[in-house]
Amino acid sequence: MFKKAWLLFLNTFTISMTANSGYAMLGVIKNRFVEKYGWFTKEEMEDYIALAQSCPGPIACSSSMIIGYRAAGLAGAFASVLGVIIPPFIMMIVVTYFYNFISTNPYVRIFIDGMQAGVCAMLLDVVLGLFDGVRKLNKGFYYVMVVLSFLFVRLTKFSIFYLALICIAVAVVKTLLIKEKAEGSL
Amino acid sequence: MISIWAIFLNFLKIGAFAFGGAYAVIPLIEEQMVTNTGWMTFTEFSDLVAIDELTPGPILVNSSTFIGMKLAGIQGALAATLACIVPGMIVSLLLVWLYTRYKEIPMITEMIRTLKCMSVALIFSVLLKMFMSAVFPKGIGLTNMNILTLVMVVLSFYILKRYKTNPLLVMLMCGAINLVISLIIK
Repeated sequence: MFKKAWLLFLNTFTISMTANSGYAMLGVIKNRFVEKYGWFTKEEMEDYIALAQSCPGPIACSSSMIIGYRAAGLAGAFASVLGVIIPPFIMMIVVTYFYNFISTNPYVRIFIDGMQAGVCAMLLDVVLGLFDGVRKLNKGFYYVMVVLSFLFVRLTKFSIFYLALICIAVAVVKTLLIKEKAEGSL
Repeated sequence: MISIWAIFLNFLKIGAFAFGGAYAVIPLIEEQMVTNTGWMTFTEFSDLVAIDELTPGPILVNSSTFIGMKLAGIQGALAATLACIVPGMIVSLLLVWLYTRYKEIPMITEMIRTLKCMSVALIFSVLLKMFMSAVFPKGIGLTNMNILTLVMVVLSFYILKRYKTNPLLVMLMCGAINLVISLIIK
């Protein structure tokens, strides 16, 4: 059990050090645990990734938590999440030192300000990609949700945490209504 | 000095609502850190988004370590990072436990969909803010417009879309161009 947990820690730690995005990481995780160790089948792994996507927070954390739990119980879950967290944590501490040091330098400032143009373009690309996901659902309901959410943040002063709660409530009511309709038609 | 407990609670809230992919957390951080608590300026926040893109690791972990570190040193970084992953850890354990019993949970699928719609709107809203502050650094008006930034945003987006270039490279190019041109004009 603890040997397996240690192995999980070593693997997630090295993967986290080298992979540069959550999804790149999932690819390597899949490769290691399905093909190298044979702990899970490919189908199980796909289910775990779908579950991980339903959790709040980084997908790298939730997926390693789920995989760790299925492989070696709670000890495995915590071992693998620690492995994922430690590398970016240490690196960001170093980065923060540098940032505090150089961000007031006028030349660095001009460079960072210029980078903002690239950031805007990158975010626009991300938003369009996400919107494409909404479009593929092919239902007017989801478009309305996007527009209403946008109006909510731009026009009201309420916190977006309320908006998230409203969205969750809408989803719950919608599934209950669909269930009722399906049962009624029987 | 901001109390460690306050940092922990704020990041717990962000971690609990960070649904819908890596970028979904950016609007939450902006609201919580810039608007609600005033712990960061909008410029620091914009810098952070650029830094997140420059560094490997989950955006949420990187951001919370960075902000925690800036607010209260290593202890702050630990509190923020731990807090932001705790909700995801709890939910993922709950889901993997449900999964071993029920396999499919339609209500959760629906929740994730509505929350995704919300994140499209929220990220777009933050993008608008960042775009406005990059293109009109001194307030909205034709004479204040930073034409170079506007051109760089459009070009970067075109390059990202057309050639699928690494966003990191595009951002660094924008920074370099901005620096070179400002040195020439001076």
